[in-house]
Amino acid sequence: MKDTPLVEVDDLHFSRGDKEIFRGVSLRIPRGKITAIMGPSGTGKTTLLKLIGAQLVPDAGRVRIDGQDVHALSRKALFRLRRRMGMLFQSGALFSDLDVFENVAFPLRVHTDLPEPMIRDLVLMKLQAVGLRGARHLTPAELSGGMARRVALARAIALDPELILYDEPFVGQDPISMGVLVQLIKRLNEALGLTAVVVSHDIKETLSIADYVYVIADGQVMAEGTPASLDVDQDARVSQFVHGEPDGPVPFHYPAVDFYRDILDTGERR
Amino acid sequence: MKRSKTMELGVGLFMLAGILGLVFLGLRVSGLSLSAPSDTFTVQANFANIGGLKPRARVTMAGVNVGRVSAIELDTDWYDARVTMELNADLEGRLSRDTTAAILTAGLLGEQYIGLSVGGDPETLSDGDTLTDTQSALVLEELIQQFVSNMVSN
Amino acid sequence: MIRRITALGRQGCELLEALGRSGLFLAQSAVGRPSREGLFLWLRQMHFVGVLSLAIVLVSGLFIGMVLALQGYTILVDFGAEQALGQMVALSLLRELAPVVAALLFAGRAGSALTAEIGLMKATEQLTSMEMIGVDPLRRVVAPRLWAGFVSLPILTVGFSVVGIYGGFLVGVEWLGVFDGSYWGNMQASVDFIGDVGNGMLKSLVFALVVTWIAVFQGYDLIPTSEGISRATTRTVVYSSLAVLGLDFVLTAVMFGGLS
Repeated sequence: MKDTPLVEVDDLHFSRGDKEIFRGVSLRIPRGKITAIMGPSGTGKTTLLKLIGAQLVPDAGRVRIDGQDVHALSRKALFRLRRRMGMLFQSGALFSDLDVFENVAFPLRVHTDLPEPMIRDLVLMKLQAVGLRGARHLTPAELSGGMARRVALARAIALDPELILYDEPFVGQDPISMGVLVQLIKRLNEALGLTAVVVSHDIKETLSIADYVYVIADGQVMAEGTPASLDVDQDARVSQFVHGEPDGPVPFHYPAVDFYRDILDTGERR
Repeated sequence: MKRSKTMELGVGLFMLAGILGLVFLGLRVSGLSLSAPSDTFTVQANFANIGGLKPRARVTMAGVNVGRVSAIELDTDWYDARVTMELNADLEGRLSRDTTAAILTAGLLGEQYIGLSVGGDPETLSDGDTLTDTQSALVLEELIQQFVSNMVSN
Repeated sequence: MIRRITALGRQGCELLEALGRSGLFLAQSAVGRPSREGLFLWLRQMHFVGVLSLAIVLVSGLFIGMVLALQGYTILVDFGAEQALGQMVALSLLRELAPVVAALLFAGRAGSALTAEIGLMKATEQLTSMEMIGVDPLRRVVAPRLWAGFVSLPILTVGFSVVGIYGGFLVGVEWLGVFDGSYWGNMQASVDFIGDVGNGMLKSLVFALVVTWIAVFQGYDLIPTSEGISRATTRTVVYSSLAVLGLDFVLTAVMFGGLS
């Protein structure tokens, strides 16, 4: 049981409107490790997390968490499963009508019948872990972006989940809070043995903490491997992405007619 | 979860005000009295013509409200109007059998109501009895017609 | 021509789909076991939706009652029937104006705020994160607001009527000199508690349900961008106003129009 992957994604297909986002994606996310899912923006990485969290239903394929097909679960069973998952949203998604303390206490109050002093201790522990114990009385509006994300992280781990999903944790962070978050994710994984999925396109930071990396592009898994093996991957597309080259097999330009013709072709169409 | 006492008080007052308002609408505006509505007894009366009488119209005696009209229907035996009235229960056993009922009009154009006047019979009315001595509504058109035909025949 | 008919058909399907979705949404959020927690959330929304709308509703009620008395007096006095002023003011308020105007004000004051608030929670992923924590946002966010609206509007309507009748009293009796005995007496003789007050309240309950339903559904169903929120807020006010006025006609026809 310990060796089976926690999350198994099999041949996932998903499209939004006419646009096909995934065409047969398969992933294995092992227990107790940090797995990174990377890829250029617009490849539906956040959508993948939402599919894993069963907020979206795929057109075909299966997502199994701990052996349970998440899209076949009843609403009740799904909510029970989600208790074992934490998710960190890009925007933090703190509840704006509650202060920092209450935000972190929220999952505890909803899912447990712990007495008030115990909830207080747990919340302060989690806030201490993200270094914001002193900010407990602030409202979300008073927090900076980095602080909001750390509070959201404290809330995501409030129930000691087995699996935590990070949606673009490094986007829009200054170098210092980026460093803090990298450290936090790493430390939480080591200290609590959490299984983590990090969705990101910040290559350097992600590669520095990930145990295993999937690169997604064009609706498929383009490459997978450990950070070290990806770094020396010979595939042109992988090396373009990993080394951040502006143009290559993944074109810089959005598909268009020839530039010269487009310029001369005045009048008819825009 | 923090609880704000002032907020709870505000909501409590708000709901209390709603209930008080409803009581005001009941007592002051609709003129409900606090006595139970079951304290009534019904009597019926047939009228040749009820004019514009409507259900819920007042029933008065010497100008005092003593009840309401509860139903009006056509009596197919006699082809006249059968009016059911609910009268205050404290009048039960006090109205003589030959009490007359007349349909009256409040003012020239006002609403129509029933006026009762007591007769001299020692026997009294009880629940479900029928008044036999009735006086129909005055219909303005008929009055004018009579007046005009009298003028012509003179 | 065929294209137009196709477009009409598509719009019909979309309308039907939206109706179905909102009906399901209403059923899912309104039904459920109340809890202590839920009671507190409801209380907070009652404050936000009900108590804070009280001022605007009462002030409007007072003015409408005063205007009614003034206008009614000038007409009734021509027939020498100014004693019927109380009856006129009370009946028009109880049957029509209080339920309708209070519902319109409520849609503008509380409905639009509900839409914007829920919409913003959606845009900032608060609803999604709530779902990921394992809490149903329909239960936690929508239900208290729905119930608060459903309870608040009838109370506001009662307040509107009371203040309006008092406003009519101020103008008619204190200012224009109608005998106060005939103001109240005529009112009491003609107003029926079940038929007038009760039916007015029934209207108000229907409006409360429809307006809050539209408001929370628009908030929950909107496209989570700033433009989407502003559009949905406008839609809330427009749709609820139309729904209130349209339903008012239907309800009036059934209740007072002899259609029963």
